[in-house]
Amino acid sequence: MATSPRLAPPTFSGPPPADPAQRGVLAHQPALLRAFLRCYGTLWSHGVLDAATKEVARIRNARVTDCRYCRNVRFAVARDAGLDESQVARIDEGFADSSLSERHKTVIRWADAFLVEPCGRHEELRAALLRELDAAEIVELTAGLALFMGFSKIAVVLGQEPEDMPTTVIPTPVRPE
Amino acid sequence: MTWLPETAPGGTDFERTLALRPELRADLEAFERLLWESGSVDPALLELCRLRIAQLLGWEPEVRRCGPAEIAESKRAALETWRRSGAFTPVERACLELAEGFVLDPHGVSEADVGAVAAHLEPAAVVLLVEALAFFDGFTRFRAILGVQD
Repeated sequence: MATSPRLAPPTFSGPPPADPAQRGVLAHQPALLRAFLRCYGTLWSHGVLDAATKEVARIRNARVTDCRYCRNVRFAVARDAGLDESQVARIDEGFADSSLSERHKTVIRWADAFLVEPCGRHEELRAALLRELDAAEIVELTAGLALFMGFSKIAVVLGQEPEDMPTTVIPTPVRPE
Repeated sequence: MTWLPETAPGGTDFERTLALRPELRADLEAFERLLWESGSVDPALLELCRLRIAQLLGWEPEVRRCGPAEIAESKRAALETWRRSGAFTPVERACLELAEGFVLDPHGVSEADVGAVAAHLEPAAVVLLVEALAFFDGFTRFRAILGVQD
């Protein structure tokens, strides 16, 4: 697994930005980084799908894609909504027999389908998803999975994963103006 | 068209689907525009990667779709077997190798794979390329799993 950066971050003529995201390797493309952070802020802070359900999908992606950073981060809004570490621990291979809600189990199956077999028919899973979420929520969840997976793979491919990282609750992404 | 029971107004199936979340649609479109229009990476190179990713994921509507940049029909026809084809330049080959690794086995992408791209592109262009790969990978899957046709 890559843990050493494959590209150096940009150099700054003055003091580097305080925000770690703004001084990392993605800062080579500042406009693109701002646009990504805006997408992510909209997803998390202006969404129609509840944060705990999105966080379940994000953590499932982190485990399947195996991104060390994404696996160890928790968003505060989901923690505040009740998704504690005991529930996060159930987002593993034994999730189907766990005490997670049917909604969260269905979202985990959807995340797995997205990551492993996106072209499959998944007729039963679609029906189950439609029992739990409305169409706008499904779009938001699926767009979220696209962003979660993309961010995880970027971290892996560019060697941006930390060597070691404790579980860390971080502020919920907000949409910059 | 998508199997979702409702969509919102839009010109294509993708736009109608994403329009159920209009703020997110606007932000994603702005992000994608930057990828194609930044000038850091030749849009034809991005289009090759987008098509190859669609082939790897097996979502035919995305393979048939023409993106914002044109590529020669001969190159499009040879793309599935690009390793054996003489139609591709060294920078295209390095980017296609990275694209395949990104989609199929990101942990298998080596320092040499990234270095092969960096031998042709500035660091800012490498970052843009990798972000484009993430976008194409993620939103081709989005299209496929939701049954988005165009």
